Parts: sequence; C-alpha cells; structure tokens
Amino acid sequence: MRNKSVVTEGVEIRLATELIELGARLQVLETETSLSRERLLNLYKELKGESPPKGMLPYSADWFLIWQPNVHSSLFIDIYNYLVAHTDLRGAHALIKSYRLYLEHVQVCNLEPILTLTRAWTLLRFLGNLLETVSCSRCGGHFIAHRQDINSDYVCGLCRPPSRAGKSKKQASEATQDILAAL
Amino acid sequence: MNTSDMLEAIKDLNLTYLMLAQHMIREDKSAAVYRLGVSQELADVLADLTAGQVLRMARTNVLLCRMRFDDRLILGLLTSHGNENMMPQSHAAILLSGQPVEELA
Repeated sequence: MRNKSVVTEGVEIRLATELIELGARLQVLETETSLSRERLLNLYKELKGESPPKGMLPYSADWFLIWQPNVHSSLFIDIYNYLVAHTDLRGAHALIKSYRLYLEHVQVCNLEPILTLTRAWTLLRFLGNLLETVSCSRCGGHFIAHRQDINSDYVCGLCRPPSRAGKSKKQASEATQDILAAL
Repeated sequence: MNTSDMLEAIKDLNLTYLMLAQHMIREDKSAAVYRLGVSQELADVLADLTAGQVLRMARTNVLLCRMRFDDRLILGLLTSHGNENMMPQSHAAILLSGQPVEELA
C-alpha cells in the first residue's frame, strides 16, 4: 500500500466500487484490487450502508452443473471467452463487462439472474482445475462441465433437458395445489 | 411491394444498421464487438466512417448486415417454440457467443 500513486488508487477504487455495486463479496475485491482490507471495508460500508457478509464463500463447483445454473453460467463464460478472444478486456474488466452483458440478457429474456457476480468470479477460478468448457456434440455450443468427466460425447442440458428442467419450487407447489384442488 | 419500394427499404435498413453500429461502437466498443459479432479492427473501421461514406455504403441493392444464425440453431429455436423451459433465447446466445466474428479480409 505504501508509495502508491493517487491516480492508481483512484482507478482501483473505481474498480472496487463497480464490483461492489454488482454484488461482489469482500474476497472478490481483495483478489481483484490491491486496496487494503480496511479500505475495502470502508468503501463497502459507504456504498451498501452495511458490513459485507462474513465467512467463506459457500459455492461449490457442483452448483455450476445443476441444469438451470449450468445454462446461466455457460452463457456467462461464453460471453467472457468471446470478450477475451476479441477485445482488449482482461481480468476484472472482462469479468465486469461479461457480467453486465449476462444481466442484460437475463433482463431482456425475463429470467432470474441466478448467477451472482461472486459466483461468476468463482467460476473463473474453477475453470482449468475443477471445471472446463466442452462442446455439445449436438448443437456445438460451449458448456460448463466437470474436468474429470469423459466429455467426448457430451450433450448439453438444452439439447437434452431433464424431465423436470426449469420447473421452479414455486411452480411445483402451484401444481401440487392444483392437484389438491381437483381432488 | 414494388422493386423501388424494396430498394428504398434496403437503403433505410442499411443506413439504420450502420448508424446504430457506429453509435454502439463509440459508446462502448467491447460491448459492441459482442453485440455486432464483428472484430475489433472492423469495429474501428465502422466507427471511423464519415456520414458521407455511410450514406454511400447504404445506397446499394443488397443488405449490409447478415443473418447470424445457422440452420441448426433456427431449427432448434423453431422446434422448441412454446416450451419456455428450453430457454431458446439463452441457447441462441450461447451458440452466437461461440461463432467466429466478421473480420476484415
């Protein structure tokens, strides 16, 4: 933190601000910026009006393989990979831009933004060790899969959705209500 | 629609497309590269076109923007019509992100 230029710090604060506004947890901010923990805590409290949630990030790699989360995270990672391949964006800036484009898609399509920024960040850290992207043998799209799995004949969840795919608990309980009402 | 109406409509669409593309690139180049599906180099060229050049480019008998979906995707979208659980728009977005960009030859 010592001998740091004010301009650099300004840039870092702007980056941290953007990440906090998108919902980043403290661990994300500590990794993606070189600001001190104390400074980040103050910034977080100032922007959100409350202390950041404490404790470990609860996210497991398996979450990204559940049907609906897999569609959302695959879309996010495809946008991210597109930006890294075709623009100069890297690191946290690529994360922010692809996450914004993901949110935009979700909004336009009337979907729930089930992938949070912190989860998206976690996903980037899992890629290459626990997870990888594989091509669907039917549609050719790139999807998140376990690294250990044998993925040569992989078929994505959109080409072959499970029978209960996309049915939320709410819809399921409504369906139960309907059945009960009909009795 | 007679031919002259059609040519007029093509010119209008070309003009709208080029102007929108320029606006998007100037506003946020990275996002525009994603949305338009063009390379950064092509985006720079588009953004630098003068109003006169845009007008001359638009005045032609062919469309300047191209269909970005391949047959398989169109088929997939059509067959999943009416089934909201298939998330066809998300599927389309995933496939589009994996396609190569339009580049300068």
